[in-house]
Amino acid sequence: MSVLFATGGPRVARGGLAGWLAGLSTGGRAAVIAVEVFVVLLLWQLIVGYWGIINPVFFPPPLAIAQGFAEIVANGSLAANAAVSAQAWLTGFTIAVIVGIPVGLLMGASLPVDKVVGPIAWTIYATPAIAYQPLAKAWFGFGIGPVIFLVVISALFPIMLNIAAGMRTTSPSLLRAARVYGGSQLDLYRRVFLPSTVPFLFAGLRQAVVLATIGMVVAELSGSSSGMGALIIRAANTYQTDQAFAAIGVVVCWSVGMTGLVTLIERRVAPWTRKARR
Amino acid sequence: MTATVSIETLNAPPPRRRRTGPGKWTWLLLAVIAGILLVWEAAVSWLHLVPAAFLPPPTAVLASFLELLVDPEFWQAFAFSMQNLLIGLVLAVVVGVAVGLAVGWSPVLRFTVAPFLWLLYSTPKVALAPLFILVLGLGNESKIALVFLLAVFPIILNTMEGAVTVPASLVNASRVYGVNGLALGWKVILPATLPYSLAGIQRGAALGFTGEVLGEFLGGTGGLGHMLEFAAYQFQMDEAIAMVIVMVIIANLTLTLISVLRKRLAPWYDDRQIMGRS
Repeated sequence: MSVLFATGGPRVARGGLAGWLAGLSTGGRAAVIAVEVFVVLLLWQLIVGYWGIINPVFFPPPLAIAQGFAEIVANGSLAANAAVSAQAWLTGFTIAVIVGIPVGLLMGASLPVDKVVGPIAWTIYATPAIAYQPLAKAWFGFGIGPVIFLVVISALFPIMLNIAAGMRTTSPSLLRAARVYGGSQLDLYRRVFLPSTVPFLFAGLRQAVVLATIGMVVAELSGSSSGMGALIIRAANTYQTDQAFAAIGVVVCWSVGMTGLVTLIERRVAPWTRKARR
Repeated sequence: MTATVSIETLNAPPPRRRRTGPGKWTWLLLAVIAGILLVWEAAVSWLHLVPAAFLPPPTAVLASFLELLVDPEFWQAFAFSMQNLLIGLVLAVVVGVAVGLAVGWSPVLRFTVAPFLWLLYSTPKVALAPLFILVLGLGNESKIALVFLLAVFPIILNTMEGAVTVPASLVNASRVYGVNGLALGWKVILPATLPYSLAGIQRGAALGFTGEVLGEFLGGTGGLGHMLEFAAYQFQMDEAIAMVIVMVIIANLTLTLISVLRKRLAPWYDDRQIMGRS
């Protein structure tokens, strides 16, 4: 969102509408955006719902999606599938955090570990997690196992590699200063490495949330009988696209909500980082 | 002790590190990989700790890999996937850079359109895959559309961010020399934004790859993803793992290619500026 409210950037003469927008207060901007969202939803409803320019089966209008949402809430399929997905996501993410943080710290602390684990981790990370999905399916069966596996694979590397990068990019002058003042090895870790690595940790966690959600959906879409992905594909295959869109909306809310939660935690435990100050 | 080494290295002037560095670490990395493969081979084919049907030994995987390389069916699938990926990516780059530059340059567009782009960017769009198959069918079109959809948003947003951060002095200087309008965009904004766009293209390529493979998983009769899923489904694990290795190679080669391009086209740009950005 930093770009959205950025006042910097190329300084060009702003007249008319641009000038007016730039002069708005935060509340005014929010109001303009709210009006805009409303207009877009209204147009969408009119174009698809009333004038029928696009086939509503392929791209259901907002009111139909709301109705689809009510349907999946009423018949209980949303609650059941969301519970399965949330369980797989949380389990996988916890494993990724528990494994990723220590390995990342180790990579940051020891050059040999970094030089050996780093290239392997980057190679696996560069490959989209979906490539590993059929193997997971063959190894862990059709239940929740492959979903957890894919969430772990997706979330592990951003956490690990960001922490390692954070440790590596700790300012050398800070380290020298700490040692000049007689800081012990432990002090160095606690007071210099830790504070400068934490922002990287949270950046990694935010990336991991997004990637884990993608991994979860991918795993559930192809070969799982329960979970949000399974709900989406079942609804789409029976042409109930309004329900499919409603389920997609729920997944989006989950992804956005979890990212927000990470930022909230960051603000509480590490108020000195750039993101937390916003 | 190891920690001291790493701090020492951070403090060391770069030339010295480069002289003693790479060779030694590459050998260590190769030795570790060889060790892992040896343990794997030993555990499966000599000690029988893991059934070979479940996790075939590296020699069997290598044999399948070599078999794939002479299999015309494999090359057909390869051509199918790569063709879709390439068409989708080219479309995404053209549209993404154009939209990104326009939105990044115009304050009005940035204010009105950017929030929606951010929302769409953070949406797990893979969830839309079943709907694409539903609308566009099982052929090439649905995969190309999926590649495009997944790849275009990182390109737009990175280009946008790049266009916003073009130094004002650069723009003012070119104004002084009478460069205006389209020429300004072509000669100043585009080159200054290029490294950001290429970073976006790098992410877009990885996501596009996900789209292509997912599209093939969900429906379709050709392509590497389909071949991989079929092998795993028949529990031919050696072939499945060989296919995964093929995908790892493709993904990493693509990323390396784009990095090389970035270094060629924008050698002044520091990679680390993008890393750690969430």
